[in-house]
Amino acid sequence: MNWKLGFAVTAGVCALLPFAVPQYSLTILIEALIFGLFAMSLDLMVGYCRLYSFGHAAAYGLGAYSTALILTHLALPLPIGIVLAVTATILTAIPIAWICTRSTGVSFAMLTLAFAQLGYAMLFRFRDITGGSDGIVGIPRPPGPFGMTWFQSKIGYYYLVLGCLLGSYLLCRAIVRSPFGAVLSGIRENEAKTIALGYNTRAYKIATVVLAYGFGGLAGALYAGFAGFASPELFFWLVSGRVLIMVVVGGAGTLIGPIIGGVFFVFVEHELSQVTDLWPLIFGSIFIAFVMFAPEGIWGILTTRFRARPEAPGSAGGKETSDAAA
Amino acid sequence: MPLLECKGLVRRFGALVAVDAVDMSLEAGKIRAVIGPNGAGKSTVFNLITSVLKPTAGEVVFAGENITGLPVHVVAQKGIARTFQLCHVFPALTARENVRIAAQARDDRRWRFVGGGGVLNRSAAVADEALEHLRLTRFANVAAAMLSHGDQRLLEVAMAIAQKPRLLMLDEPTQGLSLEETDRAVQILKGMLSVGHLSVLLVEHDMEVVFKLADDITVLHRGRVIADGPPAAVRANAEVRSAYLGGSE
Amino acid sequence: MSVLGFILAQCLSALSQAAILFFIACGLTLIFGIMRIVNFAHGVIFMLGAYVGYTTVAVTGSFLLSLIVAPIVVGAVGMAFERIFLRHLYGRRDGGAYLLLTFGLAVVLSELIRIIWGAQPLSAGIPDFLRGIVIILDQPFPLYRLFLIALGLAAAIAVWQFLERTRAGLLIRAVSQNSEMVHALGTDVDLVRTGVFGLGCAMAALGGVLAAPLVTAFLGMGTTVVIDAFVIVIIGGMGSFLGSLIGSILVAFVQVLGAYYFQDLALAFMYFLMLAVLVIRPGGLLGKED
Repeated sequence: MNWKLGFAVTAGVCALLPFAVPQYSLTILIEALIFGLFAMSLDLMVGYCRLYSFGHAAAYGLGAYSTALILTHLALPLPIGIVLAVTATILTAIPIAWICTRSTGVSFAMLTLAFAQLGYAMLFRFRDITGGSDGIVGIPRPPGPFGMTWFQSKIGYYYLVLGCLLGSYLLCRAIVRSPFGAVLSGIRENEAKTIALGYNTRAYKIATVVLAYGFGGLAGALYAGFAGFASPELFFWLVSGRVLIMVVVGGAGTLIGPIIGGVFFVFVEHELSQVTDLWPLIFGSIFIAFVMFAPEGIWGILTTRFRARPEAPGSAGGKETSDAAA
Repeated sequence: MPLLECKGLVRRFGALVAVDAVDMSLEAGKIRAVIGPNGAGKSTVFNLITSVLKPTAGEVVFAGENITGLPVHVVAQKGIARTFQLCHVFPALTARENVRIAAQARDDRRWRFVGGGGVLNRSAAVADEALEHLRLTRFANVAAAMLSHGDQRLLEVAMAIAQKPRLLMLDEPTQGLSLEETDRAVQILKGMLSVGHLSVLLVEHDMEVVFKLADDITVLHRGRVIADGPPAAVRANAEVRSAYLGGSE
Repeated sequence: MSVLGFILAQCLSALSQAAILFFIACGLTLIFGIMRIVNFAHGVIFMLGAYVGYTTVAVTGSFLLSLIVAPIVVGAVGMAFERIFLRHLYGRRDGGAYLLLTFGLAVVLSELIRIIWGAQPLSAGIPDFLRGIVIILDQPFPLYRLFLIALGLAAAIAVWQFLERTRAGLLIRAVSQNSEMVHALGTDVDLVRTGVFGLGCAMAALGGVLAAPLVTAFLGMGTTVVIDAFVIVIIGGMGSFLGSLIGSILVAFVQVLGAYYFQDLALAFMYFLMLAVLVIRPGGLLGKED
């Protein structure tokens, strides 16, 4: 199938980018890839399971703060620190997921928001550990294991982030094309029916949320290692808002769409913010426009309206499914 | 021992008694139809059996096991498959995928979240077989939402049989179907029943269909069972006549 | 200091808080009753009310005027949003679209507020004629809070009478029960919806104007409040006016008690309450269900 070709080409191009762009652009590029990963993590919930989260910043913040705490207190290599941070995020996500999935729709969204707000509040409550409004600064990038130091430079870190993004994409793609993923699309299309078929949809939803937190936590961890600090703004609801916007505008349920949405968002934000103070407003308006007129998002539009070969109507479109006919 | 037994099922909605001390049993390999005027409580009984609603009182026993009040998906896993009055499919997915997901539900490895090629292939094979049975193979790659109402209902039946159930519960399967579609559906159902070890509980309004298929009939009226027996007996029952068949038989 | 006096002071404190919560929650529940959607932007609407109120006072010097101007302005904004955007989503299969749209509104409004008024908290303070202390059972109690209680009570009665006694109120109740029937009888249901959305926003804005002297108008005041309002509406029943009143009082008491006994965790306490409510009643509903 030609997705492998597309993937290889994209990976190749991305690998060569650091040599084609100036140093300062590399910083933005790294941030863009991190956000792309963050957005993709939310897509698992929103696009594949229709679990709208207004609190995904919590995953990001958990990943960032875990990394910050681990690396500033323990003399562990950066990659190990990140792995541990992601593990911590996943473990924290399990009870959160369990509670949130007791509800659906708006209640679910409100619960996710509440958890993010709770996290935000907790940061100020335990300011001795978390540094309160100052956050945690001076996060190191310790070398290792096996004496590796390539990720300590900016360009090296770029490859770390790129690797994580590509790897996560491959993993997510496998997940949504698996039997598990098929059940998610069933839940999305008609949850009552899915339950009637014999699936414990609650368990699937919990798993999805935990996975989403895992990948989101990875994004946060990478950010902390990159920026060198973690601050409470990471938990703020507007962060949850931005990533939700990225997912919807990019194209929910496609994995690729949100990645593009995230990358695109960071670049445009960077360019626009130098020109005008109004860019969040512009983004909010674009978001509303997409919700109303193009809910399938940019990637959805590109894949359904510009297909060379017409697919069976309604089947998959740009979406990744486990359709065994593929 | 009957495959399914409902013992004294009661379901209240506030002051309204939708199901009132209903007893019903189904022998393995048989077809029982549940009929009655609108509002008689037929779908409610279905919901009680499949645990979509919990009974106010009474028991549901399936293959000797008390399944009353178990979670819906657990009941389904015991081998009960059901279609709904309002057609329930996965609209944006292809017909084949619809049925495949149904078939996958019985696979032990359905939770696999990476790989799982074996599961996918096995369930796809079962799905193709079910589509074949319902003569829907030509729609395999068409989105379910694109199918006609009649074909969607048949798709739902395909999904139900792909679950390889011991008990198939059909809630008004011919509703909204044209005459030819109804005929076709009956043919297909008859064909399936003659082959498999299937027991069927059927809610139907179409009396022709009922009398063609059913071994036994339960008649509900205002939540209570007013008659229970083979078609000939039910047809002759005066109370049933006045309540339902309108006495014009 | 008498125990009775102390208890009374706490109760009055809770009631004054309940008044503000009531304005917001009532608006939210009315909107839900009539449109079956939860207006996620409600918190930001409340915030907008606070800021518009501040400006009105800054420009005209009259607090009382702001009580009239802010609800009208914000109500109009709400109606415009409903007409231009929300209306187009009726009939969409996916309920998520509403959620996202009202969320988008929240983001856009939030940014507009930041652009227009800046990032610093603003406050005109308690108006002079409402400053002062009242002694009740030898406990000092702020006059402004008594004013809030009085206003809240008046509003509750006004809305109640409006819904029960007036033709418009009857229409609203009818539409929230069976919009198709009402439509068939010749009423312009769309108009009713727009009106109620505007009313709901106006009430929330009024809450904002009243809250601003106490907490200042600041960015982010909406997020906490929308969760509170949501919890209240869940407890009282989505779409139930009486429920929003009872729920507001209940939640206010919990908040006041929580702040008193668990000072540190006051913020977290609210979230725990919400979690508890949603966990115990995840579907959440006593009133009109969806």
